[in-house]
Amino acid sequence: MASVSFSSIKKSFGSTKVLHGISLDIADGEFMVLVGPSGCGKSTLLRMLAGLEDITGGEIAIDGRVVNDLDSKDRDIAMVFQSYALYPHLTVGENMGFSLRLRSERKDLIQSRVDNAAKILNLQALLQRYPRELSGGQRQRVAMGRAIVRDPKVFLFDEPLSNLDAKLRVAMRAEIKALHQRLKTTTVYVTHDQVEAMTMADRIAVMNDGRIEQLGEPLELYDRPANLFVAQFIGSPAMNVFEGLYRNNFIEALGAAWPVSGARAAAGQRVQYGIRPEHIDLAATGVAAEVVVVEPMGAETELLVKVGDRTLTLTTHGRSSLGPGERTFLAPRLEHVHLFDAATGARL
Amino acid sequence: MTSRKLLSEAKLWLVAIPVLLWTLIPIYHIFLFSISTKDSAFSGRLWPKEPTLRNFGTVFRQEHFYLHHFWNQIWNSLWIAVAAGVITLAVATCAAFAISRLRVKGGRTVMNAALFTYFIPAAFLAVPMYKAMGTYGLLNSRWSLVLAMVTIASPYAIWVLKQASDKLPWELDEAARIDGATPLQLFRLVYLPLMLPSLVAIFTYALLLTWNEYLYAFLLLSHENTIPLAVGLGHFLSSDDSPWEILMATALIYGLPPAAIYYAFRRYMVGGLTAGAVKS
Repeated sequence: MASVSFSSIKKSFGSTKVLHGISLDIADGEFMVLVGPSGCGKSTLLRMLAGLEDITGGEIAIDGRVVNDLDSKDRDIAMVFQSYALYPHLTVGENMGFSLRLRSERKDLIQSRVDNAAKILNLQALLQRYPRELSGGQRQRVAMGRAIVRDPKVFLFDEPLSNLDAKLRVAMRAEIKALHQRLKTTTVYVTHDQVEAMTMADRIAVMNDGRIEQLGEPLELYDRPANLFVAQFIGSPAMNVFEGLYRNNFIEALGAAWPVSGARAAAGQRVQYGIRPEHIDLAATGVAAEVVVVEPMGAETELLVKVGDRTLTLTTHGRSSLGPGERTFLAPRLEHVHLFDAATGARL
Repeated sequence: MTSRKLLSEAKLWLVAIPVLLWTLIPIYHIFLFSISTKDSAFSGRLWPKEPTLRNFGTVFRQEHFYLHHFWNQIWNSLWIAVAAGVITLAVATCAAFAISRLRVKGGRTVMNAALFTYFIPAAFLAVPMYKAMGTYGLLNSRWSLVLAMVTIASPYAIWVLKQASDKLPWELDEAARIDGATPLQLFRLVYLPLMLPSLVAIFTYALLLTWNEYLYAFLLLSHENTIPLAVGLGHFLSSDDSPWEILMATALIYGLPPAAIYYAFRRYMVGGLTAGAVKS
């Protein structure tokens, strides 16, 4: 187990700068998720930690020891790849014991470590099989087994669930989380799926364009996004955001007056008004809207409503009696209104 | 079967039958000669009146003037072909691994240079090659032909193996590196086992190329004891009255090993030389 620290990490491929000085400290035993859209540099950052990419600038330390110039194998890390990267010509057992075999460990030690990992992951029955004989979920478990066998200081996951179907992804999500709670190994997990990030992380670093936009616990990011990017990236369905003019206790936008609490901006300032779908109530008075689409999901119902020229999403618990074309009124909950500077995107 | 399907099947047969005949008639011709007596060889019949296996006996017992070194020469053929196959394989595998997986600098240049060598016909290089072998005192040594054939076979072998290597998922190398593999361990424990089909294909390719080589063998080797059987067969034609039936019996024997090798490794030949051509 170990802490990981990135300080002012920079990365360029030729003249293209992909990371602009990332600093991030990961505590011992923490489950850190790096999340962001594709091309934001999250995988590059992970691969630099793994020793698969050179470091252009800055320092990476594992357990206080700078690893910039260490080979992957000397960093005491294990990585799970999106494509599983199992050796096709080796059995499950051989795959899991490969790293120990390279270190010329004793056969009985390899056997016991592999058996132990297989027991944790429920792979005992598959040890003699080849990767091609396994399902996607089983392969991913073998890849995790290969990581566990090494008993590394840090686990690295590079979008490990992206190749699985939706149902299996949910199951594996829980499995990885349970594994972490059991082993308590420091984990860095890269994903583009904000649901994965929210459900698994101790802390999330939201990345965009080679920078960390916000670092925090999942609900902290959800409740108090630091800027427009985080606000729109975290949460599903996404937050409703539209531009308006700040008046003293309301925002003038989409031809309506949207309530806000407290003085958070100068009168006449251009702001972005953000409200999550579940924080808009249907009411007898408020902002007039027209229902466009009703999507019943069972436990809740998603409504697409039109205000002015914008379509907004809102979620209501239970069933909705409204149908397309009907008129209703929206009442945003004051305490959940987010305001952002229209120019910089920063939270107000 | 629909008429459309029938039509396309018929078209296929229309092509296949001439191709099959084209291939089989010469072989049948060789076979026919080899089981005929000297007198009936040119009788023009489709099957000899008195088929005989005596010609093969003559060959195996080296009972003809041109066949006094038959066993020696077939051993030369085998020795040279296997040596050229092994060395080509070693050279090409290391080159492909270094260029494709270790991504050494200048790899592209090597690949282009390898391709470029095929702009020059092999016959064009025969004289310089002869000169070079002479300089190193290798003329009339089996090694001269081995080295010449390695030179000729390697570029294609490197090219094919490099293409096949590129198809291996890059993550496997990364996983192995994280697992603690040195480049040599990566080569031995991951690369070689996964490349096996292509390696067999390339070994077979170099082996057959060398087994069938005539020009360089004729040029570089001249002693009865060092020449491969291909050159030995050529000697049959040096007299006005060639013993065709014995020549053909020898040719048939000479043609069997490559056929057997190809048959044994056909799975790898098709799989290896077209590896990754389609999405698996």
